[in-house]
Amino acid sequence: MASVDCMKYSRASLEFPKYKVALIFSPLILLILYLSVGKYNVSFDSIEQLLYSDSIDRTIFFNIRLPRAIEAMIFGACMGISGASLQTVLRNPLVSPYFLGISSGAAFGAALSMALFGNGNFFLVQPSAILFALVAVSMTLGLSKFRGQFTPISLVLSGMIISALFAGFLSLVQILVEPEKTQTIVAWMIGRLYSITWSDVKLSSPLALLGIIGLLCFRWRIFVLSLGDEDARSLGINVERERLVIILIASIATASVVSVTGIIGWVCLIAPHITRFIVGSDPKVLLPSSISVGACFMLLADMISRTIWSFEIPVGVITTLIGAPLFLYLMRRAQNEWR
Amino acid sequence: MSGVEAVNLCYSYGAMPIIRQASFELQAGEILSILGSNGCGKTTLLKCLNMLLKPEGRVLVDNVDLRSLSSRDLARLMGYVPQMHSPDFPYRVVDVAVSGRTPRLGFSIPSKQDYELAREALCRVGVGHLSEKYYTNLSGGELKLVLIARALVQEPKVLLLDEPTSHLDFKNRVMVLKILREIADDGIAVIMSEHDPNLASLFSDKVLLMMNKGEIVRYGPARDVISPENIMKVYGLDVEIFEKGGSRYIFPKLRD
Repeated sequence: MASVDCMKYSRASLEFPKYKVALIFSPLILLILYLSVGKYNVSFDSIEQLLYSDSIDRTIFFNIRLPRAIEAMIFGACMGISGASLQTVLRNPLVSPYFLGISSGAAFGAALSMALFGNGNFFLVQPSAILFALVAVSMTLGLSKFRGQFTPISLVLSGMIISALFAGFLSLVQILVEPEKTQTIVAWMIGRLYSITWSDVKLSSPLALLGIIGLLCFRWRIFVLSLGDEDARSLGINVERERLVIILIASIATASVVSVTGIIGWVCLIAPHITRFIVGSDPKVLLPSSISVGACFMLLADMISRTIWSFEIPVGVITTLIGAPLFLYLMRRAQNEWR
Repeated sequence: MSGVEAVNLCYSYGAMPIIRQASFELQAGEILSILGSNGCGKTTLLKCLNMLLKPEGRVLVDNVDLRSLSSRDLARLMGYVPQMHSPDFPYRVVDVAVSGRTPRLGFSIPSKQDYELAREALCRVGVGHLSEKYYTNLSGGELKLVLIARALVQEPKVLLLDEPTSHLDFKNRVMVLKILREIADDGIAVIMSEHDPNLASLFSDKVLLMMNKGEIVRYGPARDVISPENIMKVYGLDVEIFEKGGSRYIFPKLRD
């Protein structure tokens, strides 16, 4: 039996780590900062005035900055946890919703719907984006399984192929529709938050939040799945079914936010890696933390996009400019942990 | 009966049969060793027993056909220690060990008691000092011990082990087999593949001798099965068997 001496080595760490406090409070602090900076100087002299008067300050604060901040946080949170879940479940630190073709599928679906039904009808854009995101991700999974089972490499390659395919379809849609619609589609594709209104938030948040909660519920099973197919199966997990359910949840949540914001690149890859860097790879901790890190990352990126230049730079440009070099740095730091 | 029963198990990869008509039974509390040359189908047989592969024939545990069980219920009855495991993410050893609780957890995460069980199991197989380390940094032997601890945490009725002694040093081999003996004595049926006929005959109640293409040459008590004739037939190796103090020792004949 286990000796007392031996158990002494391995006592449970029960203290509440500092990083948990940081992860809970940093999005809140950033949110306050986000709301208080901008081109137009909202006066915070009197909270009463801000809350009850009918001033311009109030309109800017509640109808422009707040929905935009909320959408940025939902987008970041959703991308953070979806990316972390997919990386873990597919045992590949290089996959992300974008790499699996989810986002190009969603972009094509959204563009198609805009082309067919005009740009006003955003209620149709979202279902169409979700539908084609699911089509794209099933194609990626199907293609990568072509020779028996999927390996990390075959998955990344298939994702690239399917992404390219749907990017091609997307270009086709852009060329074929009337010029004014092309403009809408292009503006949407760059990935921006400046036009976000409360109705966008209402449209994208239910499925995104459900997805986030769903993935959180799966976090233990995601961990077990990441131990390998045979191990997971011998521990009582129906591997094919549960992996599919997790990929579907992540895809639907991703498509739901992408249908509103457009493609904002790199967040789904960078946010999980920053999180991994801070808290480690254990999905029990990684998944909840990636929600917070994703939200913070997006708030910061959008703050930069709003304030750095005399006019606004789309946030997708900022995330890519931050993302690529940051990824390179993280990759070099974490090289020996990735195998 | 209380224990495992395999009835007419057959399995083939395409047209090539790997397991042919394997039938055996094992009481709770007994250890069965599967002996045979490399590539004769030992791993395949183990994977057929816990339905990782889908064989023809039946496997019964306490008279329940495994085919009728969900994967979760099956995992509560049967633990499995794979021959190899390649870690992808740097997880803590204790988290890997506690994953053995999965069939009893559902969607919740493991409790403090589950972690306590995992730490006890790690200590029992002698790697308690590693429990907070990353399992990507372990040696092959240490990893093996962690996987065995995980199977203990699973608290199964039947424990399958694919070469539990591979990658282990001389002392740890004996330690693992001693622990398996203890587990069996607690009323669990243990089935393992093994390469060393000496260890098999020292620690197992029954031995199953396999030939290439999954043919079962002999099955029965260790003393009856491990004979120079049978070893010759399976491995093509000339051996001598010595007896001392009631135990038998098998050595290859190096000179004529």
